[in-house]
Amino acid sequence: MANAAISANSSEPSAPDGDRSVAKAPRDYRNIAPYFFIAPAVFVMLVGLVYPVFDSLYLSFFDWKIGEPFSKADNVGFTNYLRMFSDPDVWESIWVTFRFGFWTITLEMFLGVTLALMLEKPIRGASIFRTIFILPLMVSPVVVGLIWRYLFDARVGWINYYLGIWFGIEPQVWLGDAELAFFAIVFTDIWQWTPFIFIIVIAGLQALPSEVLEASRIDGANWWQQIFLVKLPMISSILVIALLMRLIDVFRALEVMYIMTGGGPGRATELLSLHIYNRAFDAQLLGYASAIAVLLIVIVTVLSAGILIIGNPMKDKSDV
Amino acid sequence: MPGVGLNNVVKAYGSTVIIPDLSLDIRESEFVVIVGPSGCGKSTTLRMVAGLESVSAGTIHIRDRDVTYAAPKARDIAMVFQSYALYPHMDVAGNMSFALRLAGTPRAEIDQRVKRAAEMLELTDYLDRKPKDLSGGQRQRVAMGRSIVRDAYVFLFDEPLSNLDAKLRSTMRTELAILHKKLDRTMIYVTHDQIEAMTMADRIVIMDQGIIQQVGSPRDVYTAPKNRFVAGFIGSPSMNFLDGELHGSGSKLEVHGQGFKIPVSKRMQITANAAKDRRVTLGMRPEHFAATANKDGKYAALNLDVDVAEYIGSSQFLAASLGGQPITATVDVGPDAEPMGSGQYFFDTNRMYLFDRASGEAL
Amino acid sequence: MKRWIAKSIGGLAVAAFAVTASFANPYEKYKGTTIVVSWPALSHYGKAQGLIDQFTAETGINVEVDALQYLKLRDRQILEMSKPEGEYDVVTWVVMWKGEYVSKGLLTPLSQFFTSGALVDPKFDIDDIADAYLQNGGVVGGKKGYMPGKSGALYGLPFGAETSIMAYRKDILEAQGIAVPKTYDELRAAMKKLGEAGIPAMTSRGKTGHQVTAGWLLHLAPLGGKIFDDEWNPVFNNAAGVEAAQVMREIAQTGPKGIPAFGFGDAAAAFLGGDAAFYIDTLKIAAMARDPKLSKIADKVGYALHPVGSRCGSETGGFAAGIPANSQNKEAAFLFLQYITSKKGDQKMVELGGDPVRMSTYKANADKFAEYPVILEQLPCADADWRPLIPEWNELNIDVLGQALTEVITTDKPIQPIMDAAAEKARAIMEREGYYAWKDVN
Ligand SMILES: Nc1ncnc2c1ncn2[C@@H]1O[C@H](COP(=O)(O)OP(=O)(O)O)[C@@H](O)[C@H]1O
Ligand SMILES: [Mg+2]
Repeated sequence: MANAAISANSSEPSAPDGDRSVAKAPRDYRNIAPYFFIAPAVFVMLVGLVYPVFDSLYLSFFDWKIGEPFSKADNVGFTNYLRMFSDPDVWESIWVTFRFGFWTITLEMFLGVTLALMLEKPIRGASIFRTIFILPLMVSPVVVGLIWRYLFDARVGWINYYLGIWFGIEPQVWLGDAELAFFAIVFTDIWQWTPFIFIIVIAGLQALPSEVLEASRIDGANWWQQIFLVKLPMISSILVIALLMRLIDVFRALEVMYIMTGGGPGRATELLSLHIYNRAFDAQLLGYASAIAVLLIVIVTVLSAGILIIGNPMKDKSDV
Repeated sequence: MPGVGLNNVVKAYGSTVIIPDLSLDIRESEFVVIVGPSGCGKSTTLRMVAGLESVSAGTIHIRDRDVTYAAPKARDIAMVFQSYALYPHMDVAGNMSFALRLAGTPRAEIDQRVKRAAEMLELTDYLDRKPKDLSGGQRQRVAMGRSIVRDAYVFLFDEPLSNLDAKLRSTMRTELAILHKKLDRTMIYVTHDQIEAMTMADRIVIMDQGIIQQVGSPRDVYTAPKNRFVAGFIGSPSMNFLDGELHGSGSKLEVHGQGFKIPVSKRMQITANAAKDRRVTLGMRPEHFAATANKDGKYAALNLDVDVAEYIGSSQFLAASLGGQPITATVDVGPDAEPMGSGQYFFDTNRMYLFDRASGEAL
Repeated sequence: MKRWIAKSIGGLAVAAFAVTASFANPYEKYKGTTIVVSWPALSHYGKAQGLIDQFTAETGINVEVDALQYLKLRDRQILEMSKPEGEYDVVTWVVMWKGEYVSKGLLTPLSQFFTSGALVDPKFDIDDIADAYLQNGGVVGGKKGYMPGKSGALYGLPFGAETSIMAYRKDILEAQGIAVPKTYDELRAAMKKLGEAGIPAMTSRGKTGHQVTAGWLLHLAPLGGKIFDDEWNPVFNNAAGVEAAQVMREIAQTGPKGIPAFGFGDAAAAFLGGDAAFYIDTLKIAAMARDPKLSKIADKVGYALHPVGSRCGSETGGFAAGIPANSQNKEAAFLFLQYITSKKGDQKMVELGGDPVRMSTYKANADKFAEYPVILEQLPCADADWRPLIPEWNELNIDVLGQALTEVITTDKPIQPIMDAAAEKARAIMEREGYYAWKDVN
């Protein structure tokens, strides 16, 4: 404001190539401006993201039991890591996580994309369907866990009840059998997260420029060709992002399994995050759990980087 | 008759009627431009021809075949969209060959046709680029190329040049005209820009509110507009319209209005004398004014109050008023003239148009 | 989070009438004092409010209750008790925490008060308090640090303690012609018979982790097993431990559907919902069975002693209450503690719907509640050492036994190797934590 007033009052407008320092100053501000604007976000990231990561890294070098002051904890160097790498329970849990991720993500992507393609057109009732489909997303994971725990309950659960009535199937111990419990958590995860893929994909589909799709119709593409040769490639960046978010979520998933099975029976449904939780708060091995948490961060980072390198969602951005 | 025929075509969205009743015959190899103000239903009409929009009533024929209910791909058409509608995930060659690949055309033939189209459009160096790495003009040419390789019977264009800058637009206009000659195909071209229409069309279709106002060659629609709408739409700057009344009769017929009395030209006398309603609208194109009296033609002297005189090279554009009504004129005074002021100007009465004031129909 | 402070008001006015002028009142000195009590927001403690009101009315000592969610309790208490001057005058703890509290010097030994004639009610009769409860919850420093013994001292009095009993369905047993089992052999025979008849036999906790371990521990002690011997060698893979695991497997096979997924709530619900003929776990089942909202089987339940294997041994658990070392109102706090665990207070808790801790209270009410005569008989042989109260127990409980026992109840694999592998893991943990360091010295 003050500057504007001064320049407006100055009787002699300065030539474009006049006083260097005056001409240079605003340019510098312009260079700083972007950093200024992202600074709060960077700060929040540092405090909220980087700090906890480093904290858990630090913690992983200690043998710290819950309730004991940290000052009393022993620095054990890499002991926790050595233990982790030879701990079959950790590897089993990673294996469970990968299997869980493979089945849930594959099926969720397939179902979510299929549903989105089916409900994309404004057919009668599509909006009602859409609303119903996204309901699971709005339910908090704890509630999802409780709902499905009771649905899968061997004694009073609806699933056993109706399987019995409709198909004459013997009651199953869904959450107490290794295979069935794994199936149950996969099923629940699909129930909860397919809508997420659905919502993202349908938003992407609806944002597709209609003229490109019309062009493909004129070019002779049938329904399948339009989906596989035009629509899906055009939302590929969205699919990659959805995939990435689901993948990271698989490594974060905790509440639903915690409530439904607690990781059991045995370690059949003990995803890595739940394994860390159980180690930290049930077995009360905070340092060791931190070491496993560091491993989890490494795995997620490697996977995310891999996906981003293969299918960078920013790569195809253009104004076409 | 081969070509494209629309017979009593109606388009309505629910109770909103966009096209009340449209019939149009387009000859084979003809370049027809549909022009009209935005929202008048041009795109809708074109999209019905393409099969992208259903027809509420009436029939559409392409090459003597009733295609009213045929799918777009079954109509033997190619279309260029205003937004180009390129496939962002395919390179230029991929975009151009997509239709052929879907049709199962042999690889060699595809390559050959893509190559030929690329040469024609000077895209040979860009064949492996993605659309995002091309300029607007290049993308536009890829869109053209995509339709050219199809070698379709009808080419449909929906404002293909609107997103280009003025200079590129005029170049592309010429290229399109050449292309039409080379390909010798039926082309239906939609635009809101009457200059594009005038420069490229074999025949112009002028639409307003879903109704065809006039169909004719560029010369027809310029020299003999059927009504006040066409007269005002064709020509740039637009025709001036002044309310007036017919006075006298026979060869002494005059139009009287605020601040002017102009004799009706011989050409117009018969029709004007026959007009029952003496209340008319006088039409004068800006380019038919002059600063000095025309040697051979009939002219009427008019006192214009000039508000602004804009220099446009060899002529000047005047924003003026006549008897209090705004009027524009382009006067050819040479590149060195001083800005023109108020005073006497001359209108070539041979170039006057008269319209029935109530109906807007030409007399 | 769920912190609420209940304040007794008007206590003073009522107290004025209660005081009989001719005797020196031991409470007189503390009239108007306000003590703060920290305990969990659990049913027994909610019901204790009636007792607190009565206490304030009679003594003029005001009581503020800070009732916290069970999981938040310990952190909060440690925080308060670590200050130079604490807010809390009375704290209750789960037996698991007592060692830590005492080793950190956070509690006042109750001997400080029991030596004062002015404070101790001569009729208090500490021997009347169920010994297992007192030893389990209140005594710290004995054998292994957490068991009775000469080196132990009293830090708390049980309040809200419990033991395990057996509950059974009178109707089912009668219909099947099964006598109430007194031994494990009889129990296993009964389960087998019920299983063959297609009737779910015994409910049990069975979810992976501490739940399945808890289920197994119930049978370990009566069958003569222990987790560790006196030198901290894991011995739960001996014959008794394997038999207890075998019992768990049979329970899972003949019991209601879903035991491998049952926590305590599910196990109890199965029994209360009529889907099991037997139940062995905390005595709380009796109150639940009487609650028509929870139970469909109220009048069909009978109670019996925890079956005996090689010895009689039920579990003990629950809370005990004591006085922080940094309390500012220790005497008043002791008077409160003494009041709520006195014969009168204990009887009042029964009337309010809570759980008593005194043998005499159980006796006096034996005809009112079907389970009391059983508890009365059960308590003398309750085992205070049914699992080790050491920090490593968590890992052992959840990660080692919790996993091994899941394998026992969900597979048909031979049990001995499973338990042996678990014992190896247990030994590794103990080794890591330095429990075998004395070996080299001796
Ligand atoms: N789906 C639709 N529903 C209702 N009205 C529509 C729809 N599509 C187009 N219109 C209307 O039809 C009219 C003609 O549109 P259009 O053919 O695109 O005009 P233009 O001549 O500018 O190409 C416009 O008034 C537009 O609002
Ligand atoms: Mg349009």
